[in-house]
Amino acid sequence: MDATIKTHFTDKGSAASNRPSLLWRPSTSTKTGLMSWLTTVDHKRIGFLYGVFALFFFLVGGVEALLIRLQLAVPNNDVLTAQQYNTMFTMHGTTMIFLAVMPLSAAFFNYIMPLQIGARDVAFPRLNAFSLWTFVVGAIILNIGWFMKDGAPDGGWVGYSPLTSKQFNADHSIDMWVMGLQLLGVASIAASLNFIVTIINMRAPGMTMMRLPVFVWMTLVTAFLIVLSFPAITIALVEVMMDRLFGTNFFEVSHGGMPILWQHLFWVFGHPEVYILILPAMGIISEILPCFSRKPLYGYPIVVFSGACIGFLGFAVWSHHMFTTGMGKVATAAFSLATMCIAVPTGVKIFNWIGTLWAGHLKMRTPMMFALGFIWMFMIGGFSGVMHSAAPADAQQQDSYFVIAHFHYVLIGGSIFALLAGIHYWFPLMFGRMVNEFWGKVSFWVIFAGFNITFFPLHFVGLNGMPRRTFTYDSNLGWNAPNQIATIGAFILATGIGIYFTLMIYTYFKGQKVGRDHWDGRTLEWSIPNPPPEYNFKVIPQVHARDAFWYEKHHQAEIAAEKAASEKAESEHGGIHMPFSSIWPLMCSVGLLVGAIGVSVLNHDPREGFWGVKIATALVGGVILFFSAYMWALEGNEGYHLHPEEDDGHGHGAKQAHH
Amino acid sequence: MHSILSSRTSRPVISLLALGSLLLLSGCDLNFWKMTGHQTTMVTAGPVAKSQLDLFYVTCWVTLVIFILVGSVLAYATFKFKARSDADEHAEPPPQSHGNPLVEMSLIAASVLSLVIIAIPTLKGIWYTHDVPEAQAANAYNINATGYQWWFKFEYPAEKLDNGMLLSTGNELVIPAGRPVRIQIRTTDVIHSFWVPKLAGKVDMIPNRGNFLWLQADEGGYFWGQCAEYCGDSHAVMRFRVIALAPMEFAAWVANQKGPARGVVAATGATAGARPQLANFKKNEYGFTAKWAEDATVSPLQNWQDQQKAPASEDTVLIAEGKNLFWNKSCIGCHTVRGMTGRMAATGDAAIPAMGVAGPDLTHVGARTSIAAGLLENTPAQLARWIAHPDQVKPGNKMYVTGYQGMGIKISDPEAVAIAAFLSSLK
Repeated sequence: MDATIKTHFTDKGSAASNRPSLLWRPSTSTKTGLMSWLTTVDHKRIGFLYGVFALFFFLVGGVEALLIRLQLAVPNNDVLTAQQYNTMFTMHGTTMIFLAVMPLSAAFFNYIMPLQIGARDVAFPRLNAFSLWTFVVGAIILNIGWFMKDGAPDGGWVGYSPLTSKQFNADHSIDMWVMGLQLLGVASIAASLNFIVTIINMRAPGMTMMRLPVFVWMTLVTAFLIVLSFPAITIALVEVMMDRLFGTNFFEVSHGGMPILWQHLFWVFGHPEVYILILPAMGIISEILPCFSRKPLYGYPIVVFSGACIGFLGFAVWSHHMFTTGMGKVATAAFSLATMCIAVPTGVKIFNWIGTLWAGHLKMRTPMMFALGFIWMFMIGGFSGVMHSAAPADAQQQDSYFVIAHFHYVLIGGSIFALLAGIHYWFPLMFGRMVNEFWGKVSFWVIFAGFNITFFPLHFVGLNGMPRRTFTYDSNLGWNAPNQIATIGAFILATGIGIYFTLMIYTYFKGQKVGRDHWDGRTLEWSIPNPPPEYNFKVIPQVHARDAFWYEKHHQAEIAAEKAASEKAESEHGGIHMPFSSIWPLMCSVGLLVGAIGVSVLNHDPREGFWGVKIATALVGGVILFFSAYMWALEGNEGYHLHPEEDDGHGHGAKQAHH
Repeated sequence: MHSILSSRTSRPVISLLALGSLLLLSGCDLNFWKMTGHQTTMVTAGPVAKSQLDLFYVTCWVTLVIFILVGSVLAYATFKFKARSDADEHAEPPPQSHGNPLVEMSLIAASVLSLVIIAIPTLKGIWYTHDVPEAQAANAYNINATGYQWWFKFEYPAEKLDNGMLLSTGNELVIPAGRPVRIQIRTTDVIHSFWVPKLAGKVDMIPNRGNFLWLQADEGGYFWGQCAEYCGDSHAVMRFRVIALAPMEFAAWVANQKGPARGVVAATGATAGARPQLANFKKNEYGFTAKWAEDATVSPLQNWQDQQKAPASEDTVLIAEGKNLFWNKSCIGCHTVRGMTGRMAATGDAAIPAMGVAGPDLTHVGARTSIAAGLLENTPAQLARWIAHPDQVKPGNKMYVTGYQGMGIKISDPEAVAIAAFLSSLK
């Protein structure tokens, strides 16, 4: 596919340049300043912003976790009140899942995926900006309660009905939780549709589906999971919102509502969500292991197939979160067996990762350390997952600290390890600087030790009968030592994370500069200069094999001739097409923010006469949203063309031609 | 510098870390891995919990074996194929092999087989733990358990009282040992979960949904239980106990429970002893005394049996004052004390019974070992503390929110001491 065909821009002196734009669109030629960031449609800048926001919330969620561990350090502690503690675990879960791990994955989808398929941007750059800003808006709504009398949400991250009803939780914290998640759903679905279209339509010529890097495959599967699973929670959240605002009857027990319905809807979303959190991590690991083993991924087709298989099976096991709700023998048995089935494709991935290492030249750099740590930790988390699949045994484990240990092994030992590996791995590409190996390894070992000291003892305290979500416990139940150890471990883990991020910030400003392809990479993102120019690829590459860049490096003469020919062709078509920036995606999100404040934050107690302000605010938000969407449509999709002369790594040689 | 994990520079860091953690941990009791606590799932006292534990061990052994096998290969591959020098790293790349379908298919087959080893006992377990086995169904003893924010009510359908109500207790469920017990579980507000780990795994109490579970205590014993589904502010302190008694003992207990409250009458002319002061508890001081410790010499069941006995001497005047306050402070609005009547200043001379049902039945509360839903040890001092300052003991509890605050009830410290003396006398 030739990128020039994708644009309906005509070249020099065409009608487009003579016809004045209906609306002004800022050009990306201004590369600095606040406005350039607010109006950006560049997938790399959007990915970077996703990463920055996600890491900020990762720290917020981490502080919440430390407060939880402080409270549990000794029995009958009173660092936090019961309500504060309940708020902490609710927000810790919600923050880590929706505001840290998911957007951090989205940061990689945005930044890396288009580079890996040889594209110059995602399919819908403005929609991409809208996803980013809507995510930010959702995060604001979720956290606004910290600064209000009502406080932040405290219904648990699963928000089980009827605890979220007006009767049992009268203040606005739950409204904000509902609205915040709703907006995050909008952001995630919009972003995922974008990724799906991008992966299907914008692959470089020759990049067939079975040549896609595994990270791109996992992006695709994750995007489908998001698009298919978020509607379930959207519906459930709408129902809760209507129950709370308009007194409807979905979960309202006194009028025959069914709280169990919430659990089904939530987990039909919630279980695929687990794979939404782990599949991107598996994708990253499947990139890092081959690179540092200097070998292709072992059994690529079966790794891809098992990833897709996990995606499908992920929709068939939601009720294993509900083994204790009295589903009856047959349903319990069915979900038990379906859950065991998921262990097979997951096991396949682990076998193939080990196969990748086998007979390779393993370069033990920090990303590789995190990747190997991932395999070990994910195995432990996976095996405790198999234990949960045996429903009668799970009746003892459900809602105990054993489950806490299990999913932190999967989410920290799994997702977070992989994401940290990914940041380290792609840092030289994104910023052109190399992270110090010594301090990288120190951060790995401190994180690894702290993580295991924190979470391994929790297996024992869980089997010893300690339930989760408890702000206090008694001293005579044998739970003291493991809790104390876990708290010490949490602070070691926090130290490790601190070292890691200090190192990254230092490297961003002062790290040693490196040339392109720092790791001897195998995929296309390493073929471009660092930091990547705004147009990514001076010439859209031709792909001849899986591990496309590895192939290029070993067939240099053939590729050079091919590139020269494509460059000539593209230049004749008017050069590289770049879209103008746009403020309207941000304005649409602002509309959503104002509307959400009207719906969820403002008081609607009729005695105080606030209905007027509340409705007015919601309507103003709606008007901003629709006006901005209208302007978005009207401003047209104009852009400009670039003619990069020299590939000096910074795009400085590019000459711009505005149209 | 950027070489392998055993680089000269990172080794001291690791050693320091390990040493530091060891020092920090040396203060802890490291026996926790034995998992023998009062509320453990790993030491069982009945067939349901045992079948669940047996299944857990199956999953544990199967996964452990796989972990060791896969882990060894992973560890071997890591050390065997590690590049040991710069030259290694820059050598000609290894053969670019893409996989071996035969190896992959065999590994898939092996995983499926090992899952079958888990699946078969899982299915057996699901059928066994679901309901009382048919052969024993006729012998099953029935209980109704209801969850409230934040306490448990237990009713005995087989034990009708004179007034037509069912015998009911709060937070301490007494069952016959050696026979299956089938518990219907309900909730009146949010979702709770009934969990006594030594006897059976948990089942949720869900609004508008009838659930049940069965369990059996093989021998007499005293078991810790706790709500296992987050249910609001005081979820962590929604606890309960199950006491299993041998058949004869159980029958005697039922007979006593069905009887009216134990009235202690102050002899005419008796004088009050020195009124105990309300003990000064710290806000977070919940712990049970040493006799409830994990390694105490006296068994918890013995403690429970001791609690059934009336004390040798009682301050009858203080008890009478407490009884009077129990009526006049409107405690009877929410609590039942069967077989007693009293007078309220507000209603004049009429003798009225204590028939409130919003809170636990207190007819024999003095014989329970814990109060405030398993949170505090049932001593007169803790009772007085609970009555005087419920808000400081249990966050958000309804006695305080709807009773004290909602109805404007005020109880002074000396009054609380008297009410506590009265309640303690109700054996």
